[in-house]
Amino acid sequence: MNMLKVPLQIFRYKPGQTPGYDTFTVEIPATAHVIDAIDAVWTSHDHSLAFRRACHHSSCGSCAIRINGLEKLPCVTRVTDVWDGRSQVRLDPLRNFPIVSDLVVDMADFFRRMSAADMAMICEAEAFLPFTVDTFAVADLEPKLVELPENFSRFTRFEKCIECGICMSACPTMAADEKFLGPAGLAAIHQARKKTLDPVKVEHLLGLADGEHGVWRCHSAFECTEACPQAVDPAGKIMALRRELIARRFLKMLGK
Amino acid sequence: MPDLLELNDGLFVAITEADLVFKDRFLQGCAACHVPAREISVEHALAVEPFLNPKILAAIQVPDGVFEPFRFCLAFLATAQENGATIRTYSEVTDLLCAGKNVTGVRIRDQHTGKQEALKVDLVVNAAGPWAGEIAAKAGVGVPEIPTAGVMVALDCRLNNLVLNRLNKPSDGDIIVPQRATSVIGTTSWAVENPDLITIPPEHVDRMITQGQQLIPAVKKVPMRAKMAVARPLIARSGIAARELSRTFECFDHERDGTNGFVTITGGKTTTARAMAEKVSDMVCRKLDISAECRTRDTPLCSYRLFFQQRGSRNQSFVGAPGDRSSGRECFR
Repeated sequence: MNMLKVPLQIFRYKPGQTPGYDTFTVEIPATAHVIDAIDAVWTSHDHSLAFRRACHHSSCGSCAIRINGLEKLPCVTRVTDVWDGRSQVRLDPLRNFPIVSDLVVDMADFFRRMSAADMAMICEAEAFLPFTVDTFAVADLEPKLVELPENFSRFTRFEKCIECGICMSACPTMAADEKFLGPAGLAAIHQARKKTLDPVKVEHLLGLADGEHGVWRCHSAFECTEACPQAVDPAGKIMALRRELIARRFLKMLGK
Repeated sequence: MPDLLELNDGLFVAITEADLVFKDRFLQGCAACHVPAREISVEHALAVEPFLNPKILAAIQVPDGVFEPFRFCLAFLATAQENGATIRTYSEVTDLLCAGKNVTGVRIRDQHTGKQEALKVDLVVNAAGPWAGEIAAKAGVGVPEIPTAGVMVALDCRLNNLVLNRLNKPSDGDIIVPQRATSVIGTTSWAVENPDLITIPPEHVDRMITQGQQLIPAVKKVPMRAKMAVARPLIARSGIAARELSRTFECFDHERDGTNGFVTITGGKTTTARAMAEKVSDMVCRKLDISAECRTRDTPLCSYRLFFQQRGSRNQSFVGAPGDRSSGRECFR
């Protein structure tokens, strides 16, 4: 097995102590992902390192951090994609979240935003395969229509958004308005709005989007869409909400 | 828990004559367990799953689904918190407190603060999964458990809608579980000494890809998104290899070992998690002379999102975002 010795520079903070960076060199397989390198630090160097992880395949969203300054999921980021073979790989917690310790941030406010949108994690599925976050990434496989199994009227599928918080960390507006609903919150409002025709729910959701901390706060930097590991395109969802809100205002002006 | 399940059923497919021989036994087993399995035509199976091996000989549809393990756990924990439980994450059990033969509490270390703390309790339930043996050893008792690792390979796109299984006895790479935008091929099975130190054998990854192609030939065309291995806590049975061990669970009252105030629940699968909790709760009630019926079967779980919301104010200590001297994007900001 081809092994690499990779130097890591990891942000450290414990309550009451001064934040700083620690460096570790870990020996890992050349095919390892960054989460494996963090695991190696924890098991072989420093058991006090705090970090989050669960699924190891970009489904739970819990391991999100910044790698060399950019928001990523270390469970699906290969070490060789972020290491130049010489420099230290720098690992930081997400931005725009309170830091609990080391690489762990407090997700409470994030999930309050997601709860406000109340987006169901399950949606109806597209009736074709293969299905991927980026369909163009899959070579030589033509999408095919799928027949439903007996006794089924539809397939169900988890929403693309894995609530990792990466978009909130990448968003420049978040630093200026801590109550901004943020890319994930607004994208969730968009998805929840798409799923309902109930006028009370629609009013509630669009009211949130139109509020002081809603879509008009967005600076259209599109950093969220660039950083999102699941191709949710939060910025596109924010623009769609803006279009709907403007259309409603015009209709209201026209008395419709 | 409808928000945490993709309920799209599953298919067991026969690829070889040996698989076909297994079919009747499988159907009889399903009937005995009241699982409504039914054979569907090969043509229909291929229309439902266009990337399925076109050479399949038979297909059986069963009720099945896929869940999100992390959010599933959070929903349990949020519900427990809502009912008064305190969840101490990032708190490692470093020792058990004992008075003679009795276990009277646990010593924990908070990974965030580094502080050690002794918690005195009426009874300790050891539900440490593959670490259950390690915890039990601190009380000087044994648990017949083998931490058993398995490799899984996640692909960079989803190639099936239903859970696909090989119609035969459990073996390596005999299942492809679709989830969101990926298909996950599982799994191998080998006993490990330390659940914290699992090295993924490259040949196991290769085996997943090779075996996965038997079910879906297009597996070879799709890039790998991730590979992972975690340890399951399997109950040891003398003379049975790790691959053959059942996923049953057991609850041990260590009074049988002469140690009071200490219970272990281990083995099992996520699908039996609630039943495991019921069994161990009943045992706890018996030992503490509490007369109460278990209500979890009929209790709807809270939203997993509540888990973090309920805890928000406990640990907050904002130190600001560390700088990004080398990031172009940081300069832009």
